[in-house]
Amino acid sequence: MSFWIPLAAALAIGLPALATAWAQSRIGPAGAATLAEKPELTTTVIIMVAIPETMVVLGFVVAVLIMLRGGA
Amino acid sequence: MRRRRARGHPPSARLRGACIAPIARPPTSPPRWPRWTRKAPSSRRYGAIFRAFEPLLRSQARWAAGRVYHILLRPGQAEAAPALEAQLGALLGKAFELRTQPLPDKETAVLIVVPEHSAPQVEKLLAQGRISEVAMPGPWAGQTLAQAMPAMQARLRAIPGERATLERRRAELRRREEPWLRHAARGARDLLARLDARALSRLTRHAFVLEGWVPAETRPRLTTALRDRFGDTVVVEEVARDHWHAEEAPVVLRNPRLFRPFELLITLLPLPTYGSMDPTPFVAVFFPMFFGLILGDLGYGLMLTVLGVMLRRRSAEGTVVRNVAEILEACAIFSLIFGLLFGEFFGDLGRRAFGLHALWFDREEAVIPFLILAVALGAVHMLLGLVIGTATAFKTHRHQALGRGLMAIMLVLTVVALLASVNVLPHGFLTPSALAILGAFPILVVLEGIVAPVEFLSTLGKVLSYARIMALGTASVMLAVVANELAGAFGSAVVGVVFALLFHVVNFALGVFSPAIHALRLHYVEFFGNFYSPGGVAYRPFGHWTPTRTEPS
Repeated sequence: MSFWIPLAAALAIGLPALATAWAQSRIGPAGAATLAEKPELTTTVIIMVAIPETMVVLGFVVAVLIMLRGGA
Repeated sequence: MRRRRARGHPPSARLRGACIAPIARPPTSPPRWPRWTRKAPSSRRYGAIFRAFEPLLRSQARWAAGRVYHILLRPGQAEAAPALEAQLGALLGKAFELRTQPLPDKETAVLIVVPEHSAPQVEKLLAQGRISEVAMPGPWAGQTLAQAMPAMQARLRAIPGERATLERRRAELRRREEPWLRHAARGARDLLARLDARALSRLTRHAFVLEGWVPAETRPRLTTALRDRFGDTVVVEEVARDHWHAEEAPVVLRNPRLFRPFELLITLLPLPTYGSMDPTPFVAVFFPMFFGLILGDLGYGLMLTVLGVMLRRRSAEGTVVRNVAEILEACAIFSLIFGLLFGEFFGDLGRRAFGLHALWFDREEAVIPFLILAVALGAVHMLLGLVIGTATAFKTHRHQALGRGLMAIMLVLTVVALLASVNVLPHGFLTPSALAILGAFPILVVLEGIVAPVEFLSTLGKVLSYARIMALGTASVMLAVVANELAGAFGSAVVGVVFALLFHVVNFALGVFSPAIHALRLHYVEFFGNFYSPGGVAYRPFGHWTPTRTEPS
C-alpha cells in the first residue's frame, strides 16, 4: 500500500471531523442559550446540533472505501 | 379524548372534587439567599491570605505609629513588587518597610509600612500602579488587617459550634413541624387545583355547568360514578367535535405494556400534538434494533442484561429508572441477537477461545455489506417515516400529504435505480426509474413549493446518515479486538489481562453511551422530521396533589 492511500483516508475522516467540531462549537453554545430561555425548543436544538455530525459519518464511510478499494 | 359538560343543581364541594380539569402550575423556585451567603469559598481564600500575612504582621508591631498597607498582587503582577520598592525608595528614602510573601496560587502578599505623614503620597503611587489593598469582608470593612484579624479568627473558631447548634435546631424543627406542614402543603395544592377548576365552571341560581377533559375510554367510568353518587341531578354531556379545536385538547400517550417504557424517549421531546401520530411503537422497535446493530456483541450484551436486571430490581414500577431498565433490557436482547449473528463475544475473543462463528457476517471483515445493511435500513426507516407523514397529514394538509407520498415513491425509485446500476436488479430498470424521478421533480415543486426538491435531496442525505450505524458498529468491534490484543502485547500475562479488562470496561461504557445517543438522534432528527408535530399539552387529571419527581415534597 502506497504512502498516499492511508494519508488520503486520514484526510477523508480528519477534515470532516474538524469541520463538524467547528460547526458544533458554534451551534452548541447558541443551543444551550436557547434552551435556557425556551426549553420547549428542545427538538429544534437537538436537530441543529446533530446536523453537522453527518459530515463526519460520511467522512468515515469515504475513508473506509478509500482503504478498501485503494488498499486491496 | 372528548370534552363533556355536567349539569345539575348548585354544586357541593364534593362534586367539584369529582370534576376533571387540567392543572398546570409552574414549580415554585427555591428561595434566593443574599449574594454573600452563596460565596462561601471566599472565606477559604481569605484564610490563605491571612496565613500569608501573619508572619508579616508579627513584625508590624514595631511600627505601630506608621500607616500599614496590605496588598495582594495577582499572578501576573509579581514583578511589580521590586518596582514598587524602587519607587517608594525614590519617594521616601529609607523611611519605609516592604515585605513580600508568595501565596499558593501564584499570588503575592505585600505588606508596606510608611510614616503616617507620607501616607497620601504612597496612596497616590498605589493608585497610579493600579494596585489595591486587600478589602476586609463584611462587618470588618474599613478596618486594617491587623485590627480585623484577631476578631476574624475568633469568629472562624466559633462558626463550627454555631453551625452544629443550628443543624440541631433545624432537625428538631423539622421533626416537630414537618408532618403538619406537609399536610398543609397538600391541602393548599388541592385548594389551588379547585380554584383553577372553578374557572371551567359556571354557576346560576339553580344549576351549574362544568367543563373538562377526560380520556375517551374513561368516560363510561365517570358517567357511572356520577350517576351512582348523584342520581339524575347531574347530567354528563359530550361536547361535539365541531365545537372544539385539536390545539386545546390535552394529550395522553397510551401504548401496550411492552412499548410503554419507550414513552420515556418521547417525553424527552415536547409531546406530539393532539390527533397526530404517537411514534412510541416505532421507536420501541427501531431504537433497540439500531442499538443492537451497533453494540452487537454477546459479551457486552450479557453485561448490559445484568445492568438492566440490577436497575429493575432497585426501582419501583412506573418510575423513570424502571423505564430506563426496561429499555436497557430490550437493547440487551437485540445486542445478544446481533452478537450471535455477527459471531462476537467481547470482540474476537469468542472466535479465539471457543471457535464462535458468524451466522450472518463478520463485522470485522465485511465492512461493505455492513454499510449496505445500515443504509438499506435507513431507506426503510425513512420510507416508513414518509408513509406515516403522508397518513397523518392526509386529513388536514392534503398538499403536504401528497408531497410526502410522492417523496416516498421517489425514494423507492432511487433505491431501484441504484440497485439496477450495480446489477442487483435487471439493468433495464435503471432508465425508467431515473426518468420517473426526473419527471416527479416538477410535480413535487407544484405540490410543496420550490424548496421541495432540496428537501428530497436532504431526505437522501438522511438515508446516508444511517451509515453511522456501520461506522459506530465497526469502531465498537475494533476497540474490542484491540482490547484482546492488548492482553498478549505485554510481557507479563497478568498485566496484559488487567489492561485488556480495563479496556473492555471502557469500551462497554462507550458501547452503551454512543449507540444510545446515535439511535436517539436517528429517531429525533432523521425519522421524526418526516411527521412529528410537537407542541401537545400533557393531560393532568384533576385530583389530590401528590409530590412528583420534579417538585419538592
